[in-house]
Amino acid sequence: MAFQILLNFFIAVVWMFMNSSLTASTFIVGYLIGLIMIIITRRFFKSRLYVWRLWAMIKLILLFAKELTLSNISVLLLIIRPKLNIQPSIFALPTELKEDWEITLLSSLITLTPGTIVLHVSSDQRMLYIHAIDVDDVDEAIDSIKNSFEKAILEVSRG
Amino acid sequence: MKTNDVILQTTTKLVFFIIFLFSIHIFFAGHYTPGGGFVGGLLTTGAIILLLLAFDLKTVQKALPFNFTIMTGIGLLLALGTASGSIFFNVPFFTHAFDDFTLPLFGVTSLHTAMIFDAGVFLVVVGSAITIIQSIGGDS
Repeated sequence: MAFQILLNFFIAVVWMFMNSSLTASTFIVGYLIGLIMIIITRRFFKSRLYVWRLWAMIKLILLFAKELTLSNISVLLLIIRPKLNIQPSIFALPTELKEDWEITLLSSLITLTPGTIVLHVSSDQRMLYIHAIDVDDVDEAIDSIKNSFEKAILEVSRG
Repeated sequence: MKTNDVILQTTTKLVFFIIFLFSIHIFFAGHYTPGGGFVGGLLTTGAIILLLLAFDLKTVQKALPFNFTIMTGIGLLLALGTASGSIFFNVPFFTHAFDDFTLPLFGVTSLHTAMIFDAGVFLVVVGSAITIIQSIGGDS
């Protein structure tokens, strides 16, 4: 991914020198031409086209915004309920993420959505211990996190 | 019981650079807007203390292999040298000189010897604060 972006910048700079005009608009035109060239020659690269990873990042941001809104509303409904019949629980979430930044990102996303807090990361970084404010079914909570955030992060980091 | 600090350490690696960049900005903003050598030095110290909290003393000493005592001395020398430069021009002690220069990339910039004095203050603050922290925190 980094190599493709670097190549795209290089093509744009070469385009600027060819036109002997070092302005931003020439750079943008050169960048777009480089993007089209990289899309045409995408079979030569080992990794995916970096456009897909950018798209996955944008999707992750949108997903986070959606989850934040929904879970805020659900916690608000818990607060204004006259009777407090909630089921707080601590459960372990097995994770497939490997890198430090992926674990940090997943933990931050889980903590920032109200109702769930990451308490601890196990020393082999295979388990996240999560405290949830209202869980009827633990497996269901694990599945919902795995299918939303973890899948989106894996989509971003897939080479 | 050794806990896993992966979240703290990964966040620190990112936030350290933001604080450091902000300290440089504050240092250069000191002439016309609030800021200057002392505040910039304290911010840099804060960034290094964040590293010390997330990692341990030995790792940070390996990563930033500066002798902070000598850094304090260099800062004092810079401040004193800037002040005593006025002796050679037959003006009172501590008189600063400044002029407008046209630099590449920056355009017309006012260069002032007070900035060198400020850099001295910056180095003294960073050096002395980190020396204090390391002396208290070390050898445990």
